[in-house]
Amino acid sequence: MKKGPITVGTPDVDVELPSHVSGVLQGNDVGHYGKMKGHLADGTSTAARSTGIGADKHGPIDPRMPNLSPA
Amino acid sequence: MTTAAAPGKERKLVDMHWDPITRIIGNLGIYTKIDFENREVAECQSTSSMFRGYSVFMKGKDPRDAHFITSRICGICGDNHATCSIYAQQMAYGIKPPPLAEWIINLGEAAEYMFDHTLFQDNLVMVDWCEQMVKETNPAVLAKAETTAAPHSDIHGFKTIADIMRAFNPFTGSMYKEALHISRVTREMFCLMEGRHVHPSTLYPGGVGTVATPQVFTDYLVRLMHVLDFVKKVIPLNDDLFDFWVDAVPGYEEVGNRRILLGCWGSFQDPNYCDYDYKTMDAWGKKMFVTPGIIVDGKIVTNNLVDINVGMRILLGSSFYDGWENEQNFVNADPLGNPIHKSHPWNQTTLPHPQKRDFNGNYSWVMSPRWYDKRSDDHLALDTGGGPLARLWSTALSGLVDLPNIKATGSSVKINLPKSVQLPEMEFEWKIPTRSNTIERDRARIYFIAYSAAAAIYFLEQAMKEVRAGRTKVFNDFKVPEEAIGCGFHEAVRGVLSHHMVIKNGKIANYHPYPPTPWNASPRDSFGTPGPYEDAVNGMKIFEENNQDNFKGIDIMRTVRSFDPCLPCGVHMYLGNGKTIKTVHSPIFAGSAK
Repeated sequence: MKKGPITVGTPDVDVELPSHVSGVLQGNDVGHYGKMKGHLADGTSTAARSTGIGADKHGPIDPRMPNLSPA
Repeated sequence: MTTAAAPGKERKLVDMHWDPITRIIGNLGIYTKIDFENREVAECQSTSSMFRGYSVFMKGKDPRDAHFITSRICGICGDNHATCSIYAQQMAYGIKPPPLAEWIINLGEAAEYMFDHTLFQDNLVMVDWCEQMVKETNPAVLAKAETTAAPHSDIHGFKTIADIMRAFNPFTGSMYKEALHISRVTREMFCLMEGRHVHPSTLYPGGVGTVATPQVFTDYLVRLMHVLDFVKKVIPLNDDLFDFWVDAVPGYEEVGNRRILLGCWGSFQDPNYCDYDYKTMDAWGKKMFVTPGIIVDGKIVTNNLVDINVGMRILLGSSFYDGWENEQNFVNADPLGNPIHKSHPWNQTTLPHPQKRDFNGNYSWVMSPRWYDKRSDDHLALDTGGGPLARLWSTALSGLVDLPNIKATGSSVKINLPKSVQLPEMEFEWKIPTRSNTIERDRARIYFIAYSAAAAIYFLEQAMKEVRAGRTKVFNDFKVPEEAIGCGFHEAVRGVLSHHMVIKNGKIANYHPYPPTPWNASPRDSFGTPGPYEDAVNGMKIFEENNQDNFKGIDIMRTVRSFDPCLPCGVHMYLGNGKTIKTVHSPIFAGSAK
């Protein structure tokens, strides 16, 4: 790396150390959305995104209502 | 402030400098030569003694970290940096977030504008205009204010202009205290959307982590209704005060006046149009809810973000850096084939060169960003008017924004605020002023709080439409490409903000944030053109009643502060002499990253 006229010491850490390690799974990777419970392909969601306990009992009481899970 | 007599040829000039200037963040110094006999500033230079180096240490980082790191550029508008970085990343990754995520970011940014403008205007700027200060600098003006009725006293409740000035006395004035409360409430609104202020925890490229429930939007709306009451009072109150100064002090409109050279990079994306594709940036840029634009002598030169991007130049001339002519070029042409200049942020290499400050040579760590106007072959020293002046001006002139409660007319912006907790529905109209001066910069700021509030109401309605339809998706998956470029254009609270990124081998090869203060606080460039602070203060008349011995420089301070200066973003690690840094590193997944 070009440092200009500034005198600097020898780095004890590689400047690229905090970058991604090749081969490690990325949370943002394509396809992960579909693997998450409660997040549906059409952009809607169910209570399963918020809870794993009795999620199917937390749906809307009227089918015309949007499925809005607890936060 | 220190003074020293300077030898003048014909005029008797006195050196006066304020370094550092208080009530702002960072190390800004203003060095002037004042002609007290003629009550005029003969010369002004703006300097910063702080170097930070974001563009140096961003290299080699994971691009997905860019918004978390660059957010730390600023302790007041860090979220603007995070947002802008996310825009740049989304362009580089070729993704767009779901609409609900975009409305959430817009709501967060609107709350940020409301928060920061309120805090700066009423708790920091107004100290320069409060009773205590005016008593010390312009007692004759205060005497007149005591007997001048406030035209809008029926709305804000202050009978005279002096009552308004008293309301802004620090720590004791009623408006000062109310503004502190409002800045707290607006910060809560921000946190509802972006998780944490000022470094957001729920903003990511591809979307947000905010869980969109009706409750979160209701919590925001309830607070907004209280803020509306404040906004409805504070606009007429500011108008009364500033109109009084123009009337009571003939010529005061010349304070801080400079040629109309304004830049606005646009704010609030419309998810119905914005796809973050560079090739269509012109079209979706014009759909932003604050229209981008470059205004020269009161006329719009372009509102095309591609033109704005291609014309950016980073000049040296009086800065403590070496040129990068012999360094690597990262981008020869943009995705549309437009050639990209060597001095464009995409191609910049930061080569700091510390040296002694010399006002006849190099005197600042701030570089000189300019916009190249191909019509005149000029490198324009654009300013941001403190942010709101350029935003409102650009939006008004383009006439593209047409929302139920905000209309850009071509010569003004009409802002309608619905009935709130205490006050009825009210409409405000910000009209394009004839000057780009201190008072108009300060006045525009208060109007932009109303603009943000009105826009937030629209964003809330759109967000609730998504939620009511059950479309709760707020993020999209993406892959980080091996090679890509991206740019983000946004408005930090105090003006233009751009982030330019180049990715190589999946890592950041080059990254340059250009926030508003480098534009405003820039020193003389390689063409000798002074930066906007310098330009606005050069040749300025002095209206302060004090003589040389107890001179406070209030008119100069009002002018510099009207730009909403904020130096941490102006210079992109300062270590004191002899300070030792201990490096603590926690390796994750072993230290094998190459």
